[in-house]
Amino acid sequence: MVSFNIHGVPVSNGIAIGTSHLVSNALLEVVRYDIKNTKIDFEVKRFKKALSVVKNELIKIKKQLVINSNSQFAPFIDTHLMLLSDNNISSEPIDSIINEKCNAEWAIKIQLDLIIDKFNQIEDPYIRERKHDVVQVAERVIKVLLGHQKQKIKFKNESSVILVAQDISPADTLQFKKHKYGAFITEMGGANSHTAILARSLNIPSIVALRNAKKLIKNNDTLIVDGNQGIVIINPSTAILDEYQYKQNLWEIEQKKLIKIRNVRCKTLGNETIKLLANIEVPEDIKSVKENNGDGIGLFRTEFLFMNRTTLPDEEEQFNIYKSVAKSMGNLPVVIRTLDSGADKNISADNNNKNTSALGLRAIRLCLSEPHLFTTQLKAILRASEFGNIRILIPMLSSLQELRQTKMLIERAKQSLKNSKIKFDNKILVGGMIEVPAVAINADMFANELDFLSIGTNDLVQYTLAIDRTDDSVSHLYNSLHSAVLRLIDNTIKAGKKYDKEVSICGEMAGDPKLTKLLLGMGLTNFSMHPTSMLTVKKQVLCSDPKKIKIKAKKILRSIEPDNIESLIQDINK
Amino acid sequence: MIKKKIKIINKLGLHARASSKLTQLASQFNSKIFIIKNNKKVNAKNIMDILMLAASVDSEVEIEANGSDEIEAIKQIEKLFQNYFEEGE
Repeated sequence: MVSFNIHGVPVSNGIAIGTSHLVSNALLEVVRYDIKNTKIDFEVKRFKKALSVVKNELIKIKKQLVINSNSQFAPFIDTHLMLLSDNNISSEPIDSIINEKCNAEWAIKIQLDLIIDKFNQIEDPYIRERKHDVVQVAERVIKVLLGHQKQKIKFKNESSVILVAQDISPADTLQFKKHKYGAFITEMGGANSHTAILARSLNIPSIVALRNAKKLIKNNDTLIVDGNQGIVIINPSTAILDEYQYKQNLWEIEQKKLIKIRNVRCKTLGNETIKLLANIEVPEDIKSVKENNGDGIGLFRTEFLFMNRTTLPDEEEQFNIYKSVAKSMGNLPVVIRTLDSGADKNISADNNNKNTSALGLRAIRLCLSEPHLFTTQLKAILRASEFGNIRILIPMLSSLQELRQTKMLIERAKQSLKNSKIKFDNKILVGGMIEVPAVAINADMFANELDFLSIGTNDLVQYTLAIDRTDDSVSHLYNSLHSAVLRLIDNTIKAGKKYDKEVSICGEMAGDPKLTKLLLGMGLTNFSMHPTSMLTVKKQVLCSDPKKIKIKAKKILRSIEPDNIESLIQDINK
Repeated sequence: MIKKKIKIINKLGLHARASSKLTQLASQFNSKIFIIKNNKKVNAKNIMDILMLAASVDSEVEIEANGSDEIEAIKQIEKLFQNYFEEGE
C-alpha cells in the first residue's frame, strides 16, 4: 500500500493511531440485490414504510422550526415534503422493484440517478442546483431503508477508530460526546469550528480543513493523526508507525505528569490566586470538572438542553438540571448562560438546516423576542439558585437597552416566584457576555450596570474581524491575536477593574496554554475553559512571574505587526 | 378546457419554492392542470416535473386546465405568476 500524507489545520493536540471510518454518505452504500418473487410485496411495503417515516420526520422538523422561530425555513421543508410525495420519488421506484425485482434502496437510487441526469441538462444554473433538494430527500429515504437514519455507529474498540467526516454539525456533537473515538478529522471547518471544540472537550486529537479527505482515505485504512502538527499519514510504513508510537507514548507521559499538579493551588509566582473555571454543556461534564479540580463553572451552555428534541424543555425539567449542577458544585459558582441559540447552534434535530446568520435573531435577541420561552428559563434558573451559588449570564448583548429589558424580565420572573411563595436567591448576580465589539468598546458602561463580565473570545474575534467561523475558506484570517481583538479584551479587563467587577474569559483563548501568560499579564484572573485544558493552563500559571509578564504583555498590546506579535508571544512563554 | 399563455416575471423562475407553491395551488382544484413549455406538457400537480421544465425568467408557458373548476383554477394560477410567487421580485 502506498503511504502518503495530507495536511490540514490542527485543532486539538495529541497523537492517534487507528483505522479510518468514513462517516457515511448514504448514497455510496447502496448496492443492488435481487428480490425473490415471493418477497416483492414485502419490498414494496418496506419502501412505502420508509416514505412515511421520512414524511413524519419532515413534519416533525417543520414543527420544530416553528417552535424555534426558524419558521423562514419551513417552506424548504414544504418543498421536500412535496418532492417526497412526487410520483418520481414515491411511485416510480415501486415500478422498478416490481419489474426489475431489485431492492428498494437500489430502486430509488436508479430513479435518483435518472432525475439528476435530467436536472444536469437544465441550462438555468439556479434551477439545475435544485437537484440537491431531490438528493437530500432521496438520501433520507435511503438512510431509513438502510436502517441507520441517525447514523448510529458501533465499534468494538472505539479508541482506535478515526472518524473521517465532511463536517460535524453542532447537533452531531451530543451524539459523539457519548463515545471515545481515537480522533476526528474533517474536510471542512476551522480552528474554532464545532469539530474543533468537540475534539478539545473530549481531549482527542483533531485536524480540520483536510480537503478531499473522504476521497483520499478509504474505510479501514491505517491512519496516524498528528494533532500537534496537523498531519494525517495514510497507510504509514512500519518505521513511521514505530516512530509515532514512541511519540504517542511521550505525549501520554506528559499528560500523566500534569495530574500531579491537580491539587496544587493555582497561583502565580507572585502568589496571586488565579481561578480556573469550567465550560460545560451537560451535567455529565461535571465529572471532568472535579477530576481537574476546577474552581467552579464559568459557563454552562444551556442550548444543549434544547437540542435534538422536538419539544421545548419545560420549567420543571430545566429547574431539575440546573439544580443538580448547582448542588453538585456546592459553594462553588455556577454561571448559567441563558439560551444562546441561533447562528451555528440551531436548535433542531435536523443537521441539514440552513443556519440563522451569526448576525441575526439569536441569543438574547431571540430570547427578548420570545419572552415566554425566556421567562421559563429564567424562572427555572432562579428556582435552582436556592440550591447553590448560581449566576446568570446574558449572551450577545449589543446595547444597554437590551440589558435593561433583560433585567426587567428577570425582575418579573422574580416577582412571579415571590407571588407563588417560591424561594430563590434574590441577590443572584447577573453578568453579560462581551462578544460584540460595540459592547467591548463601551465595556465601562456595561461594567457599571452588570455584576460581572465574561468575554466570549470566539464570537468577539468573529465579529471584530468579520470572519465567518463556519466558512473554512476564510479560516486562515481568524486571528485571536489580532491587535484589535487584544485591545478590546484589554479595554474590557480595565473596565472591570474600574468598577470592581469580575472579568473572565470563557472563549477558546482561555484554554490555550500559549496565551495564558499574555492574559495574566493583561490582568485577567478568571479563566473559564474546557475542563480538559485546566491542568495545562494551570502549569502555565504556576510558572508565571507577574512582574515580567506584565511588561511583556504591554509590549504585545502596543504591537500591530502580526509577525511581531507571534515572536513576542514566544518570548513571553520562554 | 381552457388555455392561457403566461410570461414568467419573477427573477428566479420556476425554482423549488415557486414550483412548490404552484403545485400546492394546482392540487386544490379538481381540474386536470398542465403546464406546457416548448411542446413539453407536464402535470402541474407534480413538483418535480415542473422543476424540470426549467422555466426561467422571461420565458413563456401555457397553462391548460380541464374540469369543473377550470376557470377559477386558471384565474388563481395566473394571479400567483403575476404576484411573483409572493417573493417580491
